[in-house]
Amino acid sequence: MTRAAKGARRAAARVPGEGPRRAGAGAYARYEEAVARAMTAPEPVEAVRAAGRDPGLPAGVRRALLAADPDGVRMAALLVARLRFERLLRGCPEAEAWFDRDAADFSAAFRRYHAEVPPTAFFPPGEARLFRRWLAAPRAGGSGGAGPPGIGQI
Amino acid sequence: MIPVGFTLQPDEGFLDLLADVIRREVDYYEVAPETLWRVADEAEAQLQENGFHRAFAALGRGAGRPFVAHGVGFSLGTAAPADAARRRRWLARIRLDHEVFRFRWYTDHLGATSVAGQAAALPLPVPMTAHAAGVVRRSLAALSEIVDDVGAENSVAYFMLGDPLDEPRFLSSALRAPRAHLLLDLHNVFTMGENFGFDPAEYVARLDLSKVIEIHLSGGSPSDPAWLPSGRVLRLDGHDDAVPEPVWRLFEDVAPRCPRLRGVTLERMEGTVAGAADVATVREELRRARWILGRLP
Repeated sequence: MTRAAKGARRAAARVPGEGPRRAGAGAYARYEEAVARAMTAPEPVEAVRAAGRDPGLPAGVRRALLAADPDGVRMAALLVARLRFERLLRGCPEAEAWFDRDAADFSAAFRRYHAEVPPTAFFPPGEARLFRRWLAAPRAGGSGGAGPPGIGQI
Repeated sequence: MIPVGFTLQPDEGFLDLLADVIRREVDYYEVAPETLWRVADEAEAQLQENGFHRAFAALGRGAGRPFVAHGVGFSLGTAAPADAARRRRWLARIRLDHEVFRFRWYTDHLGATSVAGQAAALPLPVPMTAHAAGVVRRSLAALSEIVDDVGAENSVAYFMLGDPLDEPRFLSSALRAPRAHLLLDLHNVFTMGENFGFDPAEYVARLDLSKVIEIHLSGGSPSDPAWLPSGRVLRLDGHDDAVPEPVWRLFEDVAPRCPRLRGVTLERMEGTVAGAADVATVREELRRARWILGRLP
């Protein structure tokens, strides 16, 4: 068993009865928001740790968040990003063309997009819409969008 | 004899390669309803049938095979008001799908694939609290207004909130309703055991096996060591390889102890069946599952 898994088990063991305790709708909503933030954060482990210090969450949930396996948190965030990446390429031909032309440049842009734009689209066309809107938006320190010349205006 | 099913993936290459297997070797088909939809607008307000929806319906009619539904995206563990409109649209679309496919049962993954109205697409863990179990129960109740028998699958989560071996207790609470079932994914149990360091048999021993309606068999693969700064490798639930031997052993052990088991489904991801050797593997796995089920008392 990994050290993190042992930590999670100890955290659960320290709070007998805490698991079944009613967390409440407000706390549950805070949990959803915290996980959503963490999964798109540049530092997902730190974001989960920050949620673990949120007094609005029940003590048992906070302890479990603080004990969550950091490698597992990073892997989950990476897979969430990967699934979004695939969703975008399926829905946005110009993004696919950019990736084919310069994978490193596109990947760097995607990382910024993923961190800046909440993933509110569930299907490729919606993801494409979000991406195009992000590309076209003016950036601080510059007048144009984030993409290579022309792509932000597609 | 308990029937053996196979997942239909919306991918022409996959369907072409496996056409004979799909027609001859399986008793029912499993589909992920949301993969059979197209969105007619970028706001995702209108969910319509895509071409595979029609093709699979025709396949089922022609082959005389029933369907079961196994979704990923409804998100059983979601309660956010920001997601309410999407869920209403999905339920309306699932109702239309059910009119076509007459699903024998409908399952989705334990966890949340949508959090605070945002698409994670990956089942994320929820706190194993009484409140969270209630959230899952309410999601299943909404689905059961469309399909009588519904259920949750034990998911792979890469991090957990608490002891992974406490999940069977949480599942029991979430699946309290009489027609709320457990889809027991044995590769997921195996994967969680590998990643969290527990014995899959111990997890299974804590489950209420009388709730199992379906068993999933599949394979996976290790993550790339370069993905994590620690260099650690985790097992992934990719459905991209053959069913590992420990999963077969678990299946032989568990299947006889599931008194209400109604189907065993082999899952394989599109893009992972590349040629005759892979087709032969899938065929052999389906036959092996049937052979094991044929030995049940």
